[in-house]
Amino acid sequence: MSRSDERRKAREQGGSNMTKFYVILGVVAIVGIGAVGYSVTSSALGAAAMEPVEVEGLDDLTLLAEIAQGVTKGDEDAPITIIEFGDYACPGCGGFALSVKPQVELLLVETGKAKFVFYDFPITTIHPTSFLAARTARCAQDQGKFWEYHDALFRNQASWRLEASPIANFLGFGEDVGLDADEFEACVKSDRHADLVTANMRLGYELRVNSTPTIMVGRPGEFLQVPSATFQGIQEAMDKIGSPENAGGAN
Amino acid sequence: MSEEAHDVGGAAVAAPPMNRMVVAVLAMGGFFVALYLFSHNLGLGGPIVCGVGDCATVQSSRYATLGPVPVSAIGVLGYVVLLALSFMGLQPKHRESRMIGGLLLVGSLGGGLFSAYLTYLEAFVIQAWCQYCVASAIIIALIFVASIPEVARLRGGS
Repeated sequence: MSRSDERRKAREQGGSNMTKFYVILGVVAIVGIGAVGYSVTSSALGAAAMEPVEVEGLDDLTLLAEIAQGVTKGDEDAPITIIEFGDYACPGCGGFALSVKPQVELLLVETGKAKFVFYDFPITTIHPTSFLAARTARCAQDQGKFWEYHDALFRNQASWRLEASPIANFLGFGEDVGLDADEFEACVKSDRHADLVTANMRLGYELRVNSTPTIMVGRPGEFLQVPSATFQGIQEAMDKIGSPENAGGAN
Repeated sequence: MSEEAHDVGGAAVAAPPMNRMVVAVLAMGGFFVALYLFSHNLGLGGPIVCGVGDCATVQSSRYATLGPVPVSAIGVLGYVVLLALSFMGLQPKHRESRMIGGLLLVGSLGGGLFSAYLTYLEAFVIQAWCQYCVASAIIIALIFVASIPEVARLRGGS
């Protein structure tokens, strides 16, 4: 092989290597652009944080009852329990939280006649952000401010319920009620409490909850579903539960 | 891929250094990892989706920024610089450049040490792992390894 042939071959070899290099670099660039672009333009929120998750053991009702946890307001030993299965993005729940719950708290909870227990029941099929909202409330609970944040969510419901990505709203409510911003944001932007909210939803389904707010009044083992989520309805249910003919009876 | 010299228009030109190709490809990958984290810092991507570890904890910790600058932005910038240097070092007239070789070595070493410090913070201070940060740490470590042949180029000189 002549010297010029060797030079030509070496040139071709160098050019071929650069071509391969450009192809590989191009592939990496395309994959990177695709991945980052998808992350930014697709659902702005992580799917796992927005939807119920798989939780082992929920088919076992005893286990479900242990995993599902409501948040209680009032005296734990109060004779009557008022349960709400609520959805933070549901206007009906907003109305209940703003107009009925304050009466319940003032006249029944603070007087020791009853305790109020809230269970998450986000109806994600019609309120895509309500599961996330429920999780954020549990994040607020981690810092001991569940009820303050719960009330802030309902009070400001109109400002976020139709937002595709209400995270900034939620972080703002957290700030308003005095949560540690970093800790709250870390919780909100994770899947924390997704299992608990999922378990509460499952408990609701097991209890045949099919709308929100669903209010139940009673004591362990005997609960009445209140037909209308009004103070009067709750009062009537309490009267029934409290009456001698119902003691130890209705389920 | 060989690294033998060849002539262009009669002048001897070194073959494209393979280690710089590797650095360029790795830097491109690292750039997108850092860009992904930075996009979340800017609030463009919502919560970081993590299969394992807890990126949100790491990203929301006080160590996620240096003053007002997100660490991920430093990563983006660092990888752009490494990509540009390696790319430049692949052009025929810079293939034997000692300056580019030296900058690649210093840049990858600096990036590697900074990344090691961040990994230490994840392990012992924040006590949470972000796989994207770990991926970036691995990439910069590989870039450093790929830059080691520059030492011979610096010693040989041209």
